Amino acid sequence: MADEMNKNVTMPEPSSLEPMNDEFLQSTTTQSASMWSAVFRRLRRNKMAIAGLVIVILVVLMAVLAKPLSMGNDPYHMLNVNEAPVEIGRPELMPPMRSHPLGTDELARDAWSRLLYGARVSLFIGIVASFLCIVIGTIVGLISGYFGGWVDIVVMRFTDMMLCIPSLVLMVILSAILKGGVFQLILVIVTFGWMSSARLVRGQVLSLKEQEYVESARAIGASGWRIMFNHLLPNTMAPIIVSFSMSISGTIIHEASLSFLGLGIPQPIPSWGNMLTNSQNYMFSAPWLIWWPGLAIFVTVLGFNFLGDGLRDALDPRLKL
Amino acid sequence: MRNFITRRVLQLIPLFVGISFITFWLLTLQGDPFHQLLLNPHIKAEDVARLMHQWNWDKPFLVRYFYWVKEFVTSTFVPSHGNGWGFSILAPGQTARALILQKIPMTLTLGISALVFAFVIALPIGIYSAIRQYSIGDYIGTFFAFFGMSMPAFWFGLMLLLLFGLKLGWLPIGGMHTDLLTVNGSQVDFYAAPWIMQFADRAKHLILPVVVLSLMDVGSWMRYVRSSMLEVIRQDYIRTARAKGAPERTILFKHALRNAMTPIITLIGLSLPSLLAGAMITEQVYSLDGMGRLTIQAVLGNDIFVGMAIVMMDAILVMSGSLLADILYAVVDPRIRYS
Repeated sequence: MADEMNKNVTMPEPSSLEPMNDEFLQSTTTQSASMWSAVFRRLRRNKMAIAGLVIVILVVLMAVLAKPLSMGNDPYHMLNVNEAPVEIGRPELMPPMRSHPLGTDELARDAWSRLLYGARVSLFIGIVASFLCIVIGTIVGLISGYFGGWVDIVVMRFTDMMLCIPSLVLMVILSAILKGGVFQLILVIVTFGWMSSARLVRGQVLSLKEQEYVESARAIGASGWRIMFNHLLPNTMAPIIVSFSMSISGTIIHEASLSFLGLGIPQPIPSWGNMLTNSQNYMFSAPWLIWWPGLAIFVTVLGFNFLGDGLRDALDPRLKL
Repeated sequence: MRNFITRRVLQLIPLFVGISFITFWLLTLQGDPFHQLLLNPHIKAEDVARLMHQWNWDKPFLVRYFYWVKEFVTSTFVPSHGNGWGFSILAPGQTARALILQKIPMTLTLGISALVFAFVIALPIGIYSAIRQYSIGDYIGTFFAFFGMSMPAFWFGLMLLLLFGLKLGWLPIGGMHTDLLTVNGSQVDFYAAPWIMQFADRAKHLILPVVVLSLMDVGSWMRYVRSSMLEVIRQDYIRTARAKGAPERTILFKHALRNAMTPIITLIGLSLPSLLAGAMITEQVYSLDGMGRLTIQAVLGNDIFVGMAIVMMDAILVMSGSLLADILYAVVDPRIRYS
């Protein structure tokens, strides 16, 4: 639908005629290793991007070091009555204390260790699902853009159709059919999440395939697949990386939303989404439980958004994503 | 232009068929909706059999689907001949259309208020951010934009509820209106109160849901307005306008903003349907009885006709949203012609 618009509305962009700055020129003429160092140099100057990177690294560390950081608490272990301090008298919904920094949840499990192990699950879903979305979208976009003709028409009509589907509703249906679990959730998110990167890559390929290097590759007899994966793919990497970073944040929010509707990761596996959902019922009696998972989601998503925004500016400021 | 619109409308037909087929298939994968009726002790088995026959559910899958399409199309275009998009399994005796018509005013009020609110906030701040790039105001605006884009809506909703509803007690914690209003010192039923008080009470109940629902759009729109304005104010014709001595206000609003609006219009057109998805979450948080809740109940309760009707309405909204955006595009920007 929208691609038809692009075809008819192409106007020369004045900014594309301007001379590029030295750094950019340098980065494109020398080897790819130095392109990445130029990108990193530009990224380093962007305070927001660095803040994002720091947040992302901290969250990843939290997930990796969940075991040592959890201070001997097991996220699945339900405390006994005699493990609770006498003055509280019950092991469930204990307020924060020294041995349980975030208190315990309604099943007397340590909230701090669940938050740490939840980081593993939420990040795993975010990263794997986004990665699969990008891989599928890239392959679809490459094929559609490169081959053109009826292949393009069929593939893009299908993509448009998937984009028109109210995805949250269909996600709810699909997760109700598949009934919980980390991999099922990833499948649900990927099924309704690959389309935007397919459109993105296709758009890039459409303009790239008219360039001389593709023509010369074809002239020396390179196969279609070789041109697609060795020549076109590396040149579409910039937008792909940016949309990967942005899509991780989207996926983490999706996981939380599906959990909120009762369809996320099932208990007892800890995830930020289902921690939020469960603690919602104790919002008034144990408000400290709902604080941290939500804050963790917010900060992580903010980090990935900052990083994605900075990466876009560093890789190609003219990119619109 | 007319050719373009005709072609685009015709293209919607295969999309409609594809979406409805996939949704229909997924919904039936969940289980047999008529089988659920058997669980209800008040419904006799032969009644269920009769209903199944009446709604062609005793026929093969593809035939069933075909009858559903027929029913949907007739009910949509010739309502007097249709059966109101099918009947509701969860609320026997009600048609899908009746159920939807009951719930839609709530969601429309919520959605439109959120849309207007998001636009009114995002536009001025986005413009300010662009014309004072890298100022403190720009950084604050950018921070709020990212705040909105990164916040999980329902958690934010719950937090606002804790703060304004419970701690401060300024706003109600849910529902659409208070049951009893105080008029001249005496308690009066909501519907008996003067309309101005009804309105004020409803508005009070809508504040938090609207803020939560518009949060995400506010953030991303602000960024779009900013980047779109930034691109425009660097163009030569803006410099020309400055050079010939046009007042800054005219330059900003007449020369720059009009050109910057084109991508924003597309964005608004495309984000219309996402409000319904947002409503699914917001209505759940604030226990509002609208389309969002109906959607979840229908989809999880395997209420096939209601679910189908809602999904199709939403899909049509998406399709017409993008069509509308393309048309408005041409209206706003005379350089664009559709061949």
